[in-house]
Amino acid sequence: MIKVMIAKPGLDGHDRGAKVVARALRDAGMEVIYTGIRQTPEQIVQSAVDEDVDILGISILSGAHMKLIPRILDLLKSKGSNMPVFVGGIIPKEDAEKLKALGVAEVYGPGAPTSEIAEQVKRFVEHSST
Amino acid sequence: MSNTRVREDEILEGMKSHDRRSLAKMLSLCEKAPDMANEILDKLSKKTSHVIGITGSPGVGKSTLISTILDKMNGKKIGIVVVDPSSPFTGGALLGDRVRMQSHATDKNFFIRSFANKGALGGLSPSIYEACDAFEAFGMDDVIIETVGVGQSEVDVANIADTVVVVLSPDNGDEVQMLKAGLMEIADLFVINKSDNPRSQILLSRLRAVTSGNKEVPIYLTNAVTGEGVERLLDDLDDRFFQISSNGILVQKRKKRLLHHAQSIVRREIDHLIQNLEINGRNLKEIRNQLIEELCKKDDQNN
Repeated sequence: MIKVMIAKPGLDGHDRGAKVVARALRDAGMEVIYTGIRQTPEQIVQSAVDEDVDILGISILSGAHMKLIPRILDLLKSKGSNMPVFVGGIIPKEDAEKLKALGVAEVYGPGAPTSEIAEQVKRFVEHSST
Repeated sequence: MSNTRVREDEILEGMKSHDRRSLAKMLSLCEKAPDMANEILDKLSKKTSHVIGITGSPGVGKSTLISTILDKMNGKKIGIVVVDPSSPFTGGALLGDRVRMQSHATDKNFFIRSFANKGALGGLSPSIYEACDAFEAFGMDDVIIETVGVGQSEVDVANIADTVVVVLSPDNGDEVQMLKAGLMEIADLFVINKSDNPRSQILLSRLRAVTSGNKEVPIYLTNAVTGEGVERLLDDLDDRFFQISSNGILVQKRKKRLLHHAQSIVRREIDHLIQNLEINGRNLKEIRNQLIEELCKKDDQNN
């Protein structure tokens, strides 16, 4: 059983995407913890560590991704966690590359098929365990 | 998975030193390997926490009420278990109770953990006894258990909680619903939430009418969003714990909890056996006998 957290940092309230992905992962047989909107990186990381999830999904559409996602990655590291992180939202291509270089497993934009996200999430978790 | 592959003795030592990450791993073990979890928990001394069960229909405000309770706690260490349903089709789950409590996510005194019910019918998770023990071994003052949103017959929370709080909202049904057996009978306390709704007064008088008589169950009016009425509820919860600790009721409740814990372990064994059982043309009696035989073999394996 894969346990995944879907979290929304930043000040935008556009949670449709996060909910669609949460629902798709639920339907793919995963236990999905949803945090709700406007979470600080500290809240997200502490929740993910307390819940001992296998993977963390971040949804962000506010444009603050280059500030917030590296902060989340740093906090995870400082807590001794190596859980994989994936990102969804409105992320320019060049930023997506930078985030992946920082350790983000994948960045999904509008139109990414949910079946593909579910498949890849499973794969990220399998890889992180080997 | 890498996140769960922490050695058991590390978890044991971590639990002893009140390491938060070890508690997180311990709770995962409760779900993934409950027998191993019980072995570790057996080696730890446990605090007798006040185990408070919060139950009621979906949407009455259980999670919001818990969040407001946490707002008003000063200095107490609290473990919170929130349970949401698993899908009967995929086994997946959407655990959303945290949404209402996220303002407490980084509080050092609180530890919130979400569980899926994994098809258990009583409103809780099959690992709830282990999880509750884990919080007591961690030294929590109170353990709050939020059930799934329940209907009328999910009453398992009464087997584990020292105090059961049944939360109602003014939009619930009429008097006949309140007279029905099950959920309404297990309440040690009633909370009528959403007290700003004028209909809450009607509910209060109806509830008083149906609960008067045999056992006097106190009723509280709260507005979990504004916090109104919650302080009185908290004071009385503490008083009640003091009372049941001194009048012997707690000892009885804990004996009952131990029995139900044992029952949940045996049930797990039976479920496991049934999943792997091949019928091979045998009749009902033969299957029954084989199940009992296999169950007895389990005992040998563990010794």
